This record gives sequence, structure tokens and C-alpha cells, in this order.
Amino acid sequence: MTLLSVQAIFYYMAAASVASALLAVTRKSPVHSMLWVLALFLHVAGIFLLLGAEFLAAVQIIVYAGAILIFYLFFLMLLDLPDEVARPRFGTHWPLAAAAGLSFPVLVWLAQVRTLYLVGTGPVGSGPVGAGLAPAARRLAAEGPPRGSLRDIGEALFGPFALPFEMASLVLLAAIVGAVVLARRRGAGS
Amino acid sequence: MIAPPGMVLGLSAVLFGIGVFGFLARRNIILMFVSAEIMLNAVNVSLVGFSQQLGEPRGQVLALCVIAVAAAEAGVGLGLVIALNRNKPGAGVGELTELKW
Repeated sequence: MTLLSVQAIFYYMAAASVASALLAVTRKSPVHSMLWVLALFLHVAGIFLLLGAEFLAAVQIIVYAGAILIFYLFFLMLLDLPDEVARPRFGTHWPLAAAAGLSFPVLVWLAQVRTLYLVGTGPVGSGPVGAGLAPAARRLAAEGPPRGSLRDIGEALFGPFALPFEMASLVLLAAIVGAVVLARRRGAGS
Repeated sequence: MIAPPGMVLGLSAVLFGIGVFGFLARRNIILMFVSAEIMLNAVNVSLVGFSQQLGEPRGQVLALCVIAVAAAEAGVGLGLVIALNRNKPGAGVGELTELKW
């Protein structure tokens, strides 16, 4: 595949994931929202594939789209929300929420404009804002064959990151115990 | 180079902003949790982008831990929803005023 077509696929994935995320948070029916979130997760998995993270793309599809999202859908159907579609979907303060959400892209945009300005004129790293992006961009051009394959991740997971990896299993165990304690009917077990 | 280096970061910020908006604006507790999942996914995108730009697997290891935390959050959060639903049916957060005290 040529570079141009790979870039076209990347931009399609980015646009589709943003569109499906927007639809997911604005649809009236919760089940429709879940299906749009499913579309978002699949497109994000495609972005992971393009970025060279094959293992994470598989984990994204198996764990996020396969387990977590089905879990949420089960819950929606368990809870039986007949009047959910009738009530207002947003609180009255939604313009404030929209402003808070817009502030993140604006911040990143400001950081990048500032970085381009720094790279163009002054010495890199002299400015206080956004200086961290420029060295990363320059190192990418000098990088040789792409790393970050499955073998690298496995060696990192069971080498220097063995302790955090085990901590993740402890977190999951705590979540299982906590969910059982929270969802148990009161007075039945104790 | 697949995309301009800032593109992945910008996409991640846009997705995170959409998640923040959904979490703050929606009045359904399950959709608030799903918006939190969107935010976690946005962070994963930026972590993988940095991992590719720096040519290191560390970002992907961190993203894996984020996915584990997201799964734990889903389990505990939905257990909370069941416990709340037992007292007061429905999934709106407007009625849950006795949690203040």
C-alpha cells in the first residue's frame, strides 16, 4: 500500500471515530448510543493497527468491544428503562459542559501552534508551552525500522514492567470483590 | 510516517473532549459511564501515538494497564448502578439526591 492510501485510511478512521463518538453522546436511545460506541471502538482499533500496535488493536476489539460493551448492553436491558426516551437527555447546564469539552482540543491546538512557531523561529525547547512535542516529531524522522511489535511488548511486560502488570491483576481482583459486595442483596449473605 | 505527529494527539484531544461533554451533560448514569470509557479510549490513542513516535513499547504497556482499569471501572460502576437501582428504579442521576449526606 502506498503512503497516500495509508494516510487516507487514517483520516477516514479519525473522522469516523469522532463522528461516532459525537453520535454516541447525543443519541436519545441508550441502545443506539451503545451501538455508536461500538463503532467508535472498532475505528479506534483500526487506528491502533495503522499506528503499529497490533496487539493493542486485538485487545481493543476483544476486551472493549467484546466484553465491556456487551456488559453495558446487558445492563441496559436488565434495568428496563421505559421512560428513558421521554425525558430530556441533557441537563440544563449542557452549554457549560460543551465549553469544558471544547477546551481540550483548543488546548492541544494552542500547544501545537506554539510548537510550530518555536521550531520555525527560535531554538527548540526555549519556550514554556508545547516544547515537548517538537523533539518527538524530529525523532520520528530519524527513526529506523518501527519498533513496538508484539515481541517488544511481551519483553517489556514481563521484564521491567512485571510489577505494574501484576498490579493490574490485583486491580481486577479488587473490582470483582467490590462488585460482588456492592451488588449483593442486603441481609442475604451476612 | 503515517500521519503528521500532531494529528494523533489532536484526535485524542477531540475524543477526550467529546467524552467530557458526555459525562457532564448526560443525565443517564450508564451513558455517563460510557462517556468515561470514551475518555479512557482517547487517552489510549494518545499513548499509542507517542509509543509509535518514540519507537518504544512503553506507551503500549501503559495503554494495556488503562484497559485493565477501564474493565475494573465498568464492573464496580455497574455494581453501584444495581445497588442504587434496588432503592430507586431508573437510571437518571437527578433523583439521587440522598447521596449528598
